[in-house]
Amino acid sequence: MTPASLRGWRLVHRWTSLICTVNLLILCVTGLILVFHHEIQHIMGEELDTSYTEGQARLPLQTLVDIAQKADPTLAPKLVSFDPEDAGANYIYIGPPGARDFEDGRWVVLNSFTGNNQVLKKPEETLTGFLLKLHVDLFAGFAGQMFVGVMGILFVVSTVSGLVVYGPFMKKLAFGLLRFGRGPRIANIDLHNLFGVATLVWAFVVGLTGAILSFSPLIIGYWQQTELVAMAARHTEPMTGTAISIDQAAQAGLAAFPGKDLAFIAYPGNNYSSDRHFSVMVRGHTELTKKILSVALVDAESGTVVETADTPWYITALLLSGPFHFGDYGGLPLQIIWALFTIVTTAVTVTGFVVWLKRPRTRTAVLERSPHGASEGKA
Amino acid sequence: MNSVWRIPVILGALSLVGLSAAILGDGFWHWICWITLSIPLAVCAVKLWRQWPSSSPATPPA
Repeated sequence: MTPASLRGWRLVHRWTSLICTVNLLILCVTGLILVFHHEIQHIMGEELDTSYTEGQARLPLQTLVDIAQKADPTLAPKLVSFDPEDAGANYIYIGPPGARDFEDGRWVVLNSFTGNNQVLKKPEETLTGFLLKLHVDLFAGFAGQMFVGVMGILFVVSTVSGLVVYGPFMKKLAFGLLRFGRGPRIANIDLHNLFGVATLVWAFVVGLTGAILSFSPLIIGYWQQTELVAMAARHTEPMTGTAISIDQAAQAGLAAFPGKDLAFIAYPGNNYSSDRHFSVMVRGHTELTKKILSVALVDAESGTVVETADTPWYITALLLSGPFHFGDYGGLPLQIIWALFTIVTTAVTVTGFVVWLKRPRTRTAVLERSPHGASEGKA
Repeated sequence: MNSVWRIPVILGALSLVGLSAAILGDGFWHWICWITLSIPLAVCAVKLWRQWPSSSPATPPA
């Protein structure tokens, strides 16, 4: 690498890191706690009651939808969602009749075996809800979420550029050498290099998946406006008779994908369906296939499946980003490992910032700019 | 591969194996995940513990 390109990479590493430092620290602290959100919700008594007795039958979906609608009879059902981890949890979205978007409605959470309506507290009113909002959008809605996504991209660039400048810096230094006796700047450089390079792959994966998740409204919006719109546009016959029940739609959708489970059902007439068709989305059973959706368009009049499709690669990438960001796919030991990596990443952030604070400003700054500046640590 | 990259590449490869393993299955795959992902963390801890100034001032740098 030429001295000029190395200088460039050092600038990229310095500034991408510095710009995302404050946000990164917020993400690390909130993320560290959110890794254990199930456990915290359990302790705080904020868990949903999704219990049922062995062998108890699920209520028909129509019954659940009817109960949900009682929460606000002016609203109509738009979407029914099924929790892959918890058979007892159904999330039903009700919104203004005729509205295609999901702006002015609300979610109703029901126990799918008892129909028990679970009051969903406002996110701000629960500890994990508060931390999650701070983590996802800094309490600034869509704009905040996009901001955090951009910070995520800067963090990913920072990890890659950090790797590039690591090599030349370490040319004459043993891996993991920590020179505590050589002043705070050298000690922090060594800690930053060891912790940074040892956890780099994890940090890259969690940063990248976090950025992808941040941009999920754009990714889902693109899918909806391209593939889903095109799919609905191929079936435009007007509705004449009465609509089938949501249970019939679910049966038809499941029959098109033997062995799969329901993920979502969108009622006709919203962003995820056509005016005459239910969209029934299904997923597989394993940790991996659970994250991959397929969709069946079910005619609301005849009850037949008119078209099926798999989700495009970018939706699969978005869905797969979840586990690799949350660390929730390998039991409690993986959650603890995730938390430890988060602590080390916090240390990398802090030591990197200290190295910048204690940067040489006068005589040594000239040395740093010389072609041999990369290995200033050995001077 | 030169000595600068040997250990970082090993730790990175172990991380990739660990991150992928638990998504592929339960039981055995979870153990692979936990063990491989623990190694980069353990390396950080051991390097820090061995070279911490107050613990053993007589130890020469690694």
